[in-house]
Amino acid sequence: MVNFTIDQIRGLMDHVANIRNMSVIAHVDHGKSTLTDSLVSKAGIISGAKAGETRFTDTRQDEQDRCITIKSTAISMYFELGAEGIADIKQKVDGNGFLINLIDSPGHVDFSSEVTAALRVTDGALVVVDCVSGVSVQTETVLRQALTEKIKPVVIINKVDRALLELQLKKEDLYTSFLRTIENVNVIISTYYDPGMGDLQVDPEKGTVAFGSGLHGWGFTLTQFASRYAKKFGVDKSKMMSKLWGENYFNPKTKKWTSKSNDADGKPLERAFNMFILDPIFKLFDTIMNFKKDEALNMLDKLEVVLKSDERDLEGKALLKVAMRKFLPAADALLEMICVHLPSPLTSQNYRAENLYEGPMDDECGVAIKNCDPKGPLMLYISKMVPTSDKGRFYAFGRVFSGTVRSGQKVRIQGPNYVPGKKDDLFVKSIQRTVLMMGRYVESIEDCPAGNIVGLVGVDQFLLKSGTITTSEVAHNLKVMKFSVSPVVQVAVDVKNPNDLPKLIEGLKRLSKSDPCVQCLTNESGEHIVAGAGELHLEICLKDLEEDHAQVPIKFGNPVVAYRETVQSESSITCLSKSKNKHNRIFMKAMPLDDELIQEIEDGKISPRGDFKIRARDLADKYGWDVTDARKIWCFGPDTTGPNLLVDVTKGVQYLNEIKDSCVAAFQWATKEGPCAEEVMRGVRFNILDVTLHADSIHRGGGEIIPATRRVLYASTMTATPGLQEPVYLVEIQCPENAIGGIYSVLNRRRGQVFSEEQRVGTPMYTVKAYMPVSESFGFTADLRSNTGGRAFPQSVFDHWQLMNGNPLEPGKVQEVVLGVRKRKGLAPEIPPLDRYLDKL
Amino acid sequence: MLYIIGLGLSDEFDITLRGLNAIKTCERVYLEAYTSILMVEKEKLEALYQKNVIVADREMVETQSDEILKDADKINVAFLVVGDPYGATTHTDLVIRAEELGIQVKAIHNASIMNAVGCTGLQLYNFGQTISMVFFTESWRPDSWYDRVKENSNLGLHTLCLLDIKVKEQSVENLVRGRLIYEPPRYMTTNQAIDQLLEIEQSRNEKAYTEDTLAVAVARVGSDSQKLASGTLKQLLTTDMGGPLHSLVLVGKRLHIMEAEVLRKFAVGLEEFNRVLVSEYNVK
Repeated sequence: MVNFTIDQIRGLMDHVANIRNMSVIAHVDHGKSTLTDSLVSKAGIISGAKAGETRFTDTRQDEQDRCITIKSTAISMYFELGAEGIADIKQKVDGNGFLINLIDSPGHVDFSSEVTAALRVTDGALVVVDCVSGVSVQTETVLRQALTEKIKPVVIINKVDRALLELQLKKEDLYTSFLRTIENVNVIISTYYDPGMGDLQVDPEKGTVAFGSGLHGWGFTLTQFASRYAKKFGVDKSKMMSKLWGENYFNPKTKKWTSKSNDADGKPLERAFNMFILDPIFKLFDTIMNFKKDEALNMLDKLEVVLKSDERDLEGKALLKVAMRKFLPAADALLEMICVHLPSPLTSQNYRAENLYEGPMDDECGVAIKNCDPKGPLMLYISKMVPTSDKGRFYAFGRVFSGTVRSGQKVRIQGPNYVPGKKDDLFVKSIQRTVLMMGRYVESIEDCPAGNIVGLVGVDQFLLKSGTITTSEVAHNLKVMKFSVSPVVQVAVDVKNPNDLPKLIEGLKRLSKSDPCVQCLTNESGEHIVAGAGELHLEICLKDLEEDHAQVPIKFGNPVVAYRETVQSESSITCLSKSKNKHNRIFMKAMPLDDELIQEIEDGKISPRGDFKIRARDLADKYGWDVTDARKIWCFGPDTTGPNLLVDVTKGVQYLNEIKDSCVAAFQWATKEGPCAEEVMRGVRFNILDVTLHADSIHRGGGEIIPATRRVLYASTMTATPGLQEPVYLVEIQCPENAIGGIYSVLNRRRGQVFSEEQRVGTPMYTVKAYMPVSESFGFTADLRSNTGGRAFPQSVFDHWQLMNGNPLEPGKVQEVVLGVRKRKGLAPEIPPLDRYLDKL
Repeated sequence: MLYIIGLGLSDEFDITLRGLNAIKTCERVYLEAYTSILMVEKEKLEALYQKNVIVADREMVETQSDEILKDADKINVAFLVVGDPYGATTHTDLVIRAEELGIQVKAIHNASIMNAVGCTGLQLYNFGQTISMVFFTESWRPDSWYDRVKENSNLGLHTLCLLDIKVKEQSVENLVRGRLIYEPPRYMTTNQAIDQLLEIEQSRNEKAYTEDTLAVAVARVGSDSQKLASGTLKQLLTTDMGGPLHSLVLVGKRLHIMEAEVLRKFAVGLEEFNRVLVSEYNVK
């Protein structure tokens, strides 16, 4: 631990070239928090006597109990890099002291939104991969998230001790397992390329991959060994690095390096990595664990590892821990890797700016962000809200991208719906206090310059979840974060005692603020709904709601899933609806959108922003659209970005532009609440074929056109073989071989489909991957545990929407689901008949 | 029999004798109250007719016409329209539906702003197409009427602009969700109308009219508090015309000396008015 005063920390914050903002990301249980602890215990900045606690970043009681991270937590560290390390840094450096702001994030998929929020405020990521389980589903998800945010990754392969102690792997097998894991990571990375960021592939030769054990507190990169051997062999360190990995062998007889695995006589040679790096580690493990203590102590002396006398008396695992920790201290290796290879805010904002800022790159804010300029206009992104000890109040947690934020400063608080030049979603208020957030402690600071992570007091009531804070009147918003999980599991909540209702409503507001992903809605029938990413997420949210936010007894309904309404064919007829005054007629047809196109829209690759000509070209080339049609996409919906399109395919209609606004409004609402069950629509293209309008604009205002358009949208959906899509999880289950039978039987009962079953090389563990409808997932984890004797660990992440077999308008399973949803929402029990929406000529 | 009866321009006494006699034979009396409004409360009408009057808003006329037409083949029903029955084109739909149901329809005409605008001294022969000016919203600023004004102006004809009224309108959200929650009533003033006219002229820039074009602002035509004001659009932009309802006339280039003579009487600034008459209209 480093004992610093707040003024000293504040001083470090000005040396922006020496700041590293980083997140630790990984699959659940790959050892993030434990690894973080080992870093924090070495370099954590802490005020005095609070040292000595474990799982430093798991601040909540339930996090400690369950041993999982639920909320991401920030912690600051200070590290002094040696001269050799400084020489390796390929970006601007300012002295040898580094301020590292680390955010430990949850690994469970249900809390991925916390990861997204963490990534936004950082520039680099330490990806933790379990050496035994390898790259798992959540590793891939978070890594992709990081790359989309232009976050540079470095990797640590963790839990190497398990490979040695439990699996008893041979050196070459361990090397192969490392190689495979690194390859898997690089396969994911290679799909992202950004010229500004340069080569992102991780490579032990470059020092961007570390190996170690968080639990035992040891770890290394090739750098440590290279500098050791460079002296011995008298060669350049960087040359040594490349020799220590890959197809490089050392022939001890000839004292020559070769790239062939056999010597001149055909005898096999040992790989340099195995010989120079794994060998000492294996020997230490072997001698200590097999009680050849003298040999071990002898070896430690040779390695210049100094043990205290009481440490020398230790035996077995305890001795191993101490010896390894002294031989290869994890914190030093990792902190060095972080300081050398992760970008400073100065470096990263240069290429991230375009990705972060919605406005033009050459306006004052764009330029200031690109330069990370502390003297520029303030641009600060609030990524999440952290509850304070004061009930119902929150710290707004975020990153200063340019300018300097001060206590008492008057700022513009711009919500996600703010449009430059308008006054919606905008507040001009003063910041009460700026604070430094360190684990569970908070310290006030006077101000905070660009490139740092900060907490604000006094802006929480003006923002729902996230937003932009600026001092520039011309500032556009910083881009809203895109979450990889969506709230597909819902539950209805109600108070046990009717008098408590106001408290519930207040509690729901607070809950919605405290979690980036949770959605709190109120149905038409007055029912309150909480929607979350998965069962665990929902469970935590409801617990927080009852205990912290509302503090009244609450009844919970059964969890239900959100569906999507879609169409399965083109409308069988051209649908017509007339306005109420009968002077306006709209003709329309619906048809399904291409699956891949829907995906691209949902991923934001095809969006309403950007040049419509380029978009039209794309649609024509990839999806066979008519270019003229593609140029006349009126809007995306719902929420102006969703995967439904309203397309004008009319020819020479007068006044059409004057009703566009009304049609768009109707389309947004209709796609939000489809005709069958008032669920969100997905993947429908609506073509406006023709319109007849009254000559005078007063007779074709919103009052006439909006209801007519909505009706024709519904009519065309209902004549286009409507369909229902249900959310499907990708389930990844790790288990030993004898548990597989139990897994299959549980999955079968729950409509699960296994599509891959693999044994992980060198381990007895199998990885089973399956698709399972979310609606079947309730109680899945518990069910699986009881059927496999607790040996199978599932991770479920929302994967895709699956069309259900059938048509809601015909009796059958789909209709039952639709009627169930209608009943739950308090709608009329029957699906409205077509003639309510369709008019005759 | 369905009587569609014009009520005239301002108060209950503007109804024709023929209309009043017809009402006396009717069992149900509806007052249409959204395309225009009368300057008096419905109680005054009821006192005069000695009948109960049902106010029919847009919702009722457009979606519940069956109720209005119920039994109208046997009994007499009156549908009262402010101004002239066919002034507002929207009511043709009611007539068509009535005829489909075999109900006889009889219209009883009355004065409407379309003819009462003669009070400005501008001759009705010299009017071109009438336009309506709607309230612009942030994203909905229709300007198709501009072409009509331009056609009129090319021919040197006057243009009557009817101004939007929003008596009982829903917000977009309530409209889409079908909630019957209404916004407070609003009436467009001539000032707002001129502001919108000039905005569109600025963006289209086809010189259908300019700030110097002469216009006549009229308010509460046919009532005792009727007010007229003539001047350039620039002058009228700031001229307060008082309470609703307002209309505006753009004066065409083919202005007759006699028309100009009348306009001078209520010019807001005579000197400027005369200058423009000479420079823009070639009238001495």
